[in-house]
Amino acid sequence: MELIKPFSDEYMDYLRDESRTVGYADSISFPKTEEEIVSILKYLYQNNTAITVQGARTGLVAAAVPFGGHILNISKMDKILGCRKDQKNFYLTIEPGVILMELNKKISSKKFDTTSWNEISLEAYNSFLSSPPMFFTPDPTENTATLGGMVACNASGARSFMYGATRNHITAIRLALADGRIVSLKRGETFANLRTLTITTQNGDNITLDLPKYEMPNTKNASGYFVKDNMDAIDLFIGSDSTLGVITELEIALTPLPPHIWGISCFFESEIKAIKFVQLVRYKIEGVAAMEYFDQTALNLLRNQKESGTAFAQLPDVPYNYNCCVYIELHANTEESIEGKMFEVGEKMELAGGNLDDTWVARNENDIDCLHFLRHAAPESANMIIDQRKKTDPMITKLGTDMSVPDQFLEEVFDLYRSGLEENNLESATWGHIGNNHLHVNILPRDSEDYKTGTILYSIWADEIAKMGGAISAEHGVGKLKSYFLEVMYGSESIEQMTALKYQLDPKGLLSKGNLFTPKKGGEN
Amino acid sequence: MKIIVCMKQVPSSNDVHLDPVTNTIIRDGNKSIINPFDSSALEQAVEIKERLGGEVTVLSMGIPDTQRLLRDALSRGCDKAVLLSDSAFAGSDTLATAYTLGLGVKKIGKFDLILCGKMAVDGDTAQIGPELAENLNIPHVTDVDEVIFVNDKEIICSKLIDGGSQILNVPLPALITVVKDIKIPRLPSIKGIRFSQTASLEILTAQDISADITKTGLNGSPTQVVKTFTPVQENTSVEFKGNAKKIAKQIASVLGEVL
Repeated sequence: MELIKPFSDEYMDYLRDESRTVGYADSISFPKTEEEIVSILKYLYQNNTAITVQGARTGLVAAAVPFGGHILNISKMDKILGCRKDQKNFYLTIEPGVILMELNKKISSKKFDTTSWNEISLEAYNSFLSSPPMFFTPDPTENTATLGGMVACNASGARSFMYGATRNHITAIRLALADGRIVSLKRGETFANLRTLTITTQNGDNITLDLPKYEMPNTKNASGYFVKDNMDAIDLFIGSDSTLGVITELEIALTPLPPHIWGISCFFESEIKAIKFVQLVRYKIEGVAAMEYFDQTALNLLRNQKESGTAFAQLPDVPYNYNCCVYIELHANTEESIEGKMFEVGEKMELAGGNLDDTWVARNENDIDCLHFLRHAAPESANMIIDQRKKTDPMITKLGTDMSVPDQFLEEVFDLYRSGLEENNLESATWGHIGNNHLHVNILPRDSEDYKTGTILYSIWADEIAKMGGAISAEHGVGKLKSYFLEVMYGSESIEQMTALKYQLDPKGLLSKGNLFTPKKGGEN
Repeated sequence: MKIIVCMKQVPSSNDVHLDPVTNTIIRDGNKSIINPFDSSALEQAVEIKERLGGEVTVLSMGIPDTQRLLRDALSRGCDKAVLLSDSAFAGSDTLATAYTLGLGVKKIGKFDLILCGKMAVDGDTAQIGPELAENLNIPHVTDVDEVIFVNDKEIICSKLIDGGSQILNVPLPALITVVKDIKIPRLPSIKGIRFSQTASLEILTAQDISADITKTGLNGSPTQVVKTFTPVQENTSVEFKGNAKKIAKQIASVLGEVL
C-alpha cells in the first residue's frame, strides 16, 4: 500500500518520545486526511498489524513509542477547518496534528487560513474578529504537543486548576475505529444508560459497550478510561491513550481571555509554611487560575543553570534564603479586582508565616513571560542533568511522578515523598500543581543503583497513593510506562473490565498495543 | 546618596502605531512599558541605595498615563517619583526633552548621581543622557556595563568601547548611561506594590519648572521627522526541485542575485 512506507533509518526519530523510551517498528505512515487514515486502518486490520498512533511525540509515558507494527503519525493533519459560534462562545474545528503553540498564536492574532472554510464558518469568524480576545485554556508545559495527543492523554497544565483539563474544552470528536469505521460524537448528544453505552458508527452500526464498574478517584485524573453512570460518550474517548480509536478531527471550545492576568511567586523558608499557604488560599480567593510549587532542589537547579547557561542568564537572582516557592496566577476582569486579590494572597502569606518582601509580582507581559520561563526552566534543567548522566550510564532516565491525591492528603503525600527520598538517599527535584495536590517528584538517579532504588520507591508510592484514593497519573496519561501502576490503582478486576471494553471496539487488540495495559492483560494478540 | 533615574515610557512591542499627521508614535498607555534600558538603570540605582543608603528619585517626561509606570518603578525600590507632564512638552525631540528633564532635575534639587538607560528602544537615539549632562554641566559616561565602586565623592565604572572596555573614575555629581546587561531588573514584591500606592509622585507642569516654552515640545525641537513607518517584512520562500546538481545551480543563481 502506497501510504504505508517500510520502516527505515530516516524515520529513527519516530521510535522515541520525550520519555526517552526507544522502540522499534516495521512500517510508518503520515496520512493527510481522514480517508487516508481509514484506508490505512482497514489495510492494517486485514493484516493483523499492531498500530501506534503518534502526534508530536512530546508525551512522557511512551504512549507514542511503538514496539513493533505500524506507526500512524498524524502530524501532517494540521489544518484548522472551521469556526462556529453559539450565544456564549466560539469553537474551532481542527485536525488532530495541530500544534498547541501554533493554535495559540492563531487564536491570539485571530489570523487563520480560511480559504477552505464554509459560509457558516466565515460568518462565525467575522464575529470572532470583532469579539474580545479568546484563548484555549489547557497549557501543558510542552506547548509543541499536538491537540490529538492532548486529547489522547487528557493533558492539563497549570491553569487547569481553574479551567479544568483538556476534556472540559473538547466539544466534538470524530474518530476512526480499529477496523476503519467512523464514529462522530458531539458533547451533549449521546449518553450512557448507567454503565451501558451505545454508539452509532457513520455507516449505521450500533455498538453497545459495557462500561467498567469502578469509581474514578476524586482528584485530577488521567489514569485509564473515564467512566461514570450516565456519562457523555465523548468522555470515554478523551484520555483513552488512543486505545479505542484514532482521532481524525476535533472541536475545541474557546474561553474569553481575562483582561488582567498577574503572576505572583511567593517564596517561603520551609515546605510546611508553603503547604499551609496553599491550604489558606485555594478555593478561598476567587480568580486563582494556577497554584504551582517548586521545592528547594528545583530552585537550586535554576540557580545552577543561571550561573552556567546563557539561556537562563536573564532570570532574576533567586535569593538563597528562598527555599521553596508557590506560584499563583490570578485572572480578573478589572485592575481593581486583581489588585485586591493580590493583597488577599499577601494576607494569606503572612498568616502562613511568610514575608511580603519575599514575593515577585508580574503585572505586565514581560514580567509574566519571565515567571513562565522560570516555571518551564525547572523541568528543562532536570532533563539536562539526566541527559548528562545518561552519557555515563545509558540505563538512567528521569523517574518523574505524576500522581495526585484528594485535598485532605496534601501534607501526607509530602511526608510520603520526603521520607522515601531521604531513607533511600536519592537526589530529586520537585515541582508541580500543588493546588491539585499533584506534584511531579523527579528522582534524578546518579547511577544505575539509584535508578533501581528509584523504581522500587516509585511502586511503593503508587501503592500508597492508591490507598489515599489518588490517581497514578493526573495529566501525562498511562501509556506504556505506567500501565503496571494502573493495575495497582484500580485492581485486576477493573483492568479486566477495561480490557473487555477495549476489545469490544478493537477486537484484535491492535490499537496502541501496550498502552494502558501490561501485555499479559490486553493489547496482546 | 541622592540618585535620580530618568525613565521613558515605550511601546511594549514592535507593533507600534504612528500618528500620520505628526509622524510621532501614538503612546497608548495600556500597551506601554518602562524602557528596558531604564529598568536596568533603576535596578542599578536601587542596588547602590541599598548598599550606601540614601534615596532614588525616578524622573520622567510623558503623558499623564506615565504615572502608572512611575508607580511601577516605585514598587521596584525607588523612593520618589516626578512626572513632567504638560501639553507644552508634546512632540519633543531629544534637545527639548533634555532641556525639560534638566529643569526637572533642578526642581528635584541636590543630587549625586543620575542614571539613564543607554537609549530608548523606540527612538534609538542614545542622546538624552549626554545632552542632559551637558545641560546640567556635569561629567558623564555612556555605555556603562559595570559600576565598580561608588561613594558620595566619585564613581569608578566600566564603559564598553569597541573591542573592549574602559575603566573611568569620575567625580560626582555625574551622569552615567547604562547598557541593558548591567543588571537584571527585579520584580516588585507585594510589599513594594503596597508602598508604591501611597509613595510621593509629583506631577509638574511647564509652569511649575519655569520652562521657556519656546524650548519645549515641538516648538523647541529642531529635529523634524519627515516620515515614519512600520517596515513591512517581506519573506519569500522558493522550493527547488530536481537532482542535487540542478538544485545547486539554482541556489548559486539566487545567491548571485543577492550578492
